Amino acid sequence: MMRVICVALIVALFFTPQTSLADEKAERQFTLKVLPILTEKCFGCHGNDADDIKGDYSMLTRELLLKGGETGDEAVVPGKHNEGTLLPAIAWEDMEMPPKQTDRLTKEQIELIRDWVVNGAPWPSEQKQKTYRDEAKLEMSTDEGDIMITSGGTSDDWTYRRYKPEDMWAFRPMKKVELAAGQNPVDALIDQKLGEAGATAASEADPLTLVRRATFDLIGLPPTPEEVKQFKLTWNADPDMAWSELIDRLLESPHYGERWAQHYLDAARYADTAGYSNDYERSNMWRYRDYVIRAFNKDKPYDEFIIEQIAGDELWEQQSEGEKNPELLIATSFLRMGAWDPAMVKVPQARQMYVDDVVNSVGQTFLSTTMRCCKCHDHKFDPIPIKDYYRMYAAFAATQLAERPAPFLPEENLERFDTQKKQVKLLHKFAKDRVDRLVTKRENAAKKWYKENGKEYVTHNDRKNLPDEEKPPRHVGLDATDQGRLKVREQDVWVWNRRLERYQPMVQSVYNGPDPGYLNARKMRMPGQIKKTEMVSFIFNGGAVEAPGDKVQPGVISALGLPVEPKTETKQNGSEKDPYVIGSDINGRRLAVAKWIANPKNPLTARSFVNRIWQHHFGKPLAGNPNSFGAKGAKPTHPKLLDWLSVDFVENGWTIKRLHKQIMMSKAYRQTSEHPEMKSLLVKDPDNDLLAYFPTKRLTAEEIRDAMLRVTGELNPNGGGLPVMPEINMEVALQPRMIQFSIAPAYLPSREPEVRNRRSIYAYRVRGQADPFLEAFNQPNPNDSCEVRDVAAVSPQAFTLMNSDLMGDRAIAFALRLQKENDSLGSQIHSAFELAFGREPSEKEAEKTIEYVKSMQDYHQSVEPKPVTYPTQITRSLVEEFTGKPFEYEEILPVFEDYIADKKAADVDADTRALADLCLMLFNSNEFMYLY
Amino acid sequence: MNQFSPQSFLAQRHAEISRRNFLYGLGASLGSLALTDLLAADQIAAASGADEAGPLAPKPAMTTPRAKNVIMLFMEGGPGHMDTFDPKPELNRLHKTESKSTRSLANGFKFFVGSPFKFNKVGQSGIEMCDQWKYLANPAVADELCNFRGCTAESLNHPEALFQMNTGSRLGSDPSVGSWATYGLGSENQNLPGYVVMTELAMPQGGSTNWSNGFLPAHFQGTRLRPEGSPILDLKSPEFKSRAHQRAFLDQLSFLNEQHAKKHPSHQDLAARMESYELAYRMQTEVPGVIDIGAEPEYIHEMYGLNEKETAAFGRQCLMARRLVEKGVRFVQIFSGGWDSHDYLERGHSARIKSVDKPMAALILDLKSRGMLDDTLVIWTGEFGRTPDNNKRGGVYSIGRGHNADAMTMLLAGGGVKGGTIVGGTNEIGSEAVDCVHPIRDLHVTLLHLLGLDDNKLTYLHAGRYKQLSQFGGEVIKEIIA
Repeated sequence: MMRVICVALIVALFFTPQTSLADEKAERQFTLKVLPILTEKCFGCHGNDADDIKGDYSMLTRELLLKGGETGDEAVVPGKHNEGTLLPAIAWEDMEMPPKQTDRLTKEQIELIRDWVVNGAPWPSEQKQKTYRDEAKLEMSTDEGDIMITSGGTSDDWTYRRYKPEDMWAFRPMKKVELAAGQNPVDALIDQKLGEAGATAASEADPLTLVRRATFDLIGLPPTPEEVKQFKLTWNADPDMAWSELIDRLLESPHYGERWAQHYLDAARYADTAGYSNDYERSNMWRYRDYVIRAFNKDKPYDEFIIEQIAGDELWEQQSEGEKNPELLIATSFLRMGAWDPAMVKVPQARQMYVDDVVNSVGQTFLSTTMRCCKCHDHKFDPIPIKDYYRMYAAFAATQLAERPAPFLPEENLERFDTQKKQVKLLHKFAKDRVDRLVTKRENAAKKWYKENGKEYVTHNDRKNLPDEEKPPRHVGLDATDQGRLKVREQDVWVWNRRLERYQPMVQSVYNGPDPGYLNARKMRMPGQIKKTEMVSFIFNGGAVEAPGDKVQPGVISALGLPVEPKTETKQNGSEKDPYVIGSDINGRRLAVAKWIANPKNPLTARSFVNRIWQHHFGKPLAGNPNSFGAKGAKPTHPKLLDWLSVDFVENGWTIKRLHKQIMMSKAYRQTSEHPEMKSLLVKDPDNDLLAYFPTKRLTAEEIRDAMLRVTGELNPNGGGLPVMPEINMEVALQPRMIQFSIAPAYLPSREPEVRNRRSIYAYRVRGQADPFLEAFNQPNPNDSCEVRDVAAVSPQAFTLMNSDLMGDRAIAFALRLQKENDSLGSQIHSAFELAFGREPSEKEAEKTIEYVKSMQDYHQSVEPKPVTYPTQITRSLVEEFTGKPFEYEEILPVFEDYIADKKAADVDADTRALADLCLMLFNSNEFMYLY
Repeated sequence: MNQFSPQSFLAQRHAEISRRNFLYGLGASLGSLALTDLLAADQIAAASGADEAGPLAPKPAMTTPRAKNVIMLFMEGGPGHMDTFDPKPELNRLHKTESKSTRSLANGFKFFVGSPFKFNKVGQSGIEMCDQWKYLANPAVADELCNFRGCTAESLNHPEALFQMNTGSRLGSDPSVGSWATYGLGSENQNLPGYVVMTELAMPQGGSTNWSNGFLPAHFQGTRLRPEGSPILDLKSPEFKSRAHQRAFLDQLSFLNEQHAKKHPSHQDLAARMESYELAYRMQTEVPGVIDIGAEPEYIHEMYGLNEKETAAFGRQCLMARRLVEKGVRFVQIFSGGWDSHDYLERGHSARIKSVDKPMAALILDLKSRGMLDDTLVIWTGEFGRTPDNNKRGGVYSIGRGHNADAMTMLLAGGGVKGGTIVGGTNEIGSEAVDCVHPIRDLHVTLLHLLGLDDNKLTYLHAGRYKQLSQFGGEVIKEIIA
């Protein structure tokens, strides 16, 4: 659109008769400044309504304006500001115009009109006015703000609106400021801001604080007492070297990927199920979770990481048979991450739900841009027209969902396939047998009916569409309970069928093709043959699929000024081709988008990612809304630093581990979280935007659980593989959970403790059933991308940490470990502090703690905890949806037949229980919960 | 209206700090903390202008409130409007004749379904209800009710429709109505959650997303009182740990935390976290007290239907709702399922009506007799209405109805509502609302308005936009307000 205007402009200028520069200036002034004032303030009464012209004075043309109204006096004499009635009137010296006090012209406005009169009151033709206006539109930067060049909005007002330059920081190219050689960029730029604010940085933290900070930060686990000791020793010899070696060691740990994948999956919204009423299992999602962990551990360059997730399948298609890398298909599970279910929704709407979700997710995850805002209209605040949204939408419009075959990789963990499959088959058989039994019962009754009516038997499927009188009643032979049970068991068969797909070399992926005629999230497969299709996309004005507007080509966000590569061959409307548009072949659209996002020059991509990395190191991002860099997002506290790191990140091959080290080696990262001038800082800089001291962090949900398992010695450090089922609150595990037509099978924890005690990132993530422990500690709802986790301290957390069975189990495990490794109560307490806090207890703490444990020993002598049992079967009751009648059915819980439970209170003696009280307390303490 | 001004990261921090300040006010449970800290906290509170209270402390309304509390009775599954409060004689005339409507999702032959129930005009006001409502028809109850027939939903699918009615968004990630209300007004009782949810044993579709705090701080999430087992997960200590044992535990924990706080005098969150334990300790006695309805007199038990199998479960929850509101809980929500009558409409709906009729009527009368109805807004609604027609199922004329987002019915009573009125209307066959038509967001705006909150000012900055319950603003439904 810009180009079209430019061409028109040149033509217009060419044919315009010569005008002197001074005249032209006056004409321009009139067009851009004076005429708008007249339009707004005068024409309402003096011209617009031809039937009612006040004072018989119209100002709509030069001639009329000069002539004046009913008084007969000339209103304006060109070149003479002392003559004419207009100027005194608008100055309220003679007449008072405009008559309302609130409408009076400002001094500046009066001055502008005076100048215009002095300059001869020029009034250029409509055509020339348009030229002047068009030219003005092209003046990119004025004191009213900047114009952002885009593919164009639905109105010129939007297209030529102006943005505050500071709001557009993220859409502008990144700049790397020059730093003196040898300077740490983080410190140089943080110190600069501190200096400007008249503040100083805090001092360096002590080695214990630092080793805890770095270890949790990079691997999400506490350092062992030995690691603390070792670090202190090397620190005393050479702090810088010790620190550098510590970071290197942690970055090489396989736990590093587990920790940082978790951050990434918060934004990508990882879950093992599809959400909504069916909450179908996405059987192979775990392979994607491991892909992300591997990517971090292998330090996969971020640009590759992006491209694989958005277009891995397109790259896979390009690879020759025998050389295909399954990793590429696994990566595309990213495109399957949103909650989605087409049940009860028509296909076009279901497709829109999907594509809209993907466009928004790509925008938030990789570009920190909220695309959904322009689904219905041009973006209210950001330079993204609705057209760009639908260009991106078109780029994903051919993306269809399917479970695709993808051979297992040698690095994938295939443990427990046999045992798990066996259990699922058992559950499947249980449900299938019951379905068969009920179907047999029904069909026997049907056969009887046919016989009695002298007709030949027709199978259930074949008789579905026969007229009523030619077949038995629809639930023949089944009472209300049977009907309800049949429905439940049929659902169960599906549930277990899907679960069995976990063990298949398949992956939740996508392919390019036309929209299928029928959608059911229960089973999604690629068609044997994909029909060749032209796919035309439209703008859905107001977001309504039912109302397609203009056609759009697939493309990208134009405001960044970054063209798509390679340039498309197709020309638009026979004119110049648009640099932000992708070819119309349904294949290659996503690859083009992905490469555009991963382009080193894309100003959003690197900033978005570097900001997230920074956020998780410092507990607060540089730009306050990591999912939204637009005009309404918080501005970066250190824009130069964000840019410097982002440019440097790209220049050095998008490698993430290097970025971690760069940040962590800074003085700023090594500061204490205290400050000598805290009082005044809290007033001056309450958000610690200056980073004058290190921000404190509360452990995340997963860190709390994983750290406890490490401290108790129960953690199974193995990585990857099938989702594990930690023990969750048993009431929640067994409580009925409604799904469409049925109740979902109960949550069954893994049989063996070592499987349950894997890290939390491997825990089965069900959209409709959060782990109440992790949820209480603000594990985000996977339906929405999470940019910052909540950390509010609420009482349900206290209930969980003090009273839950699983905390009781951890406390006993910890106590047993302490007793096993130490003889005396004194040394047990000593060791407890070292394991939990990384430090010895103070004398006072040791003394009071011994006293406490001893009194608890007395207490526990007097009580006898009851043994815990696990049910192997439960009875469910449900109201049948159609009959409205309640019915019951049995559900088996085979895992509890030979379950290996954790040690419970009843299994240990009073001394262990007393020590466990202390252990529980340490896990409840603020020192365990916060990082400094 | 400081607390309602657009919140930034900064303002949210201030709220944290001011909460801490509030805790110093409590003193007793917190042991000794450095004086310098106390002073610093005062300065910050002064500098930020933040109020001196916790996140759930009562906050003044923005405008004169008509109601202080809300009890929302959520009929999951979608009650049929034409089978409850919105009679459609035309449907009985058309019964079993072919319907050509293309509104619903189902394809194939469709036929109209007349309501199996007769309708009566009840009370002085003569509002209409089907003959299955025995207790609600009592004039003392009926004349308190406003039947709103103009509401329209968007989604035909249960979870999305539930999310929309509860959170204003079909996507199910935004804060629920109760969270917004609690965010706006706080709660009168600091020993109980400000927003309480009761469900049947099975959670409604979409689960806790229906009472999620979304992007609002976690203090504002709905706390679910579970109908069986522990009312709040892990509310009680294991049976072998006595109250004295727990007190000793908390005292020792407090000692450790104080030692720790001395090393970290600047850390803002330590005191607040300690206080959350003391609140938990108090809730352990407070919650069972509220739940224990044994103390209620027999006539109350009888009135709420606790002595009858069909009404006992919902009756108990209605009674608890009254007790919670009495204790100062801001927002109570009860979910009752089973309204999704695709078939066997007569049996299904009459059973559901029977299960809620007596308890609802009791709730309204009880609130009224205690002088609480003026301050308490009671809402009865589902997630959508039902269609005038149905499909054949297995070739049989199945007497039931599909999902209908274009028409539904709801009742409002108490707090500022014009009782004994019918507002809005649906067309002759009840397929769509045609009179006083309002989307769900307008209902939300109205609800906030009755609480003295302005939807356009009750905002929270999230993902780069100031979010509000109605998403993009809405209008107050003036017709339902007294």
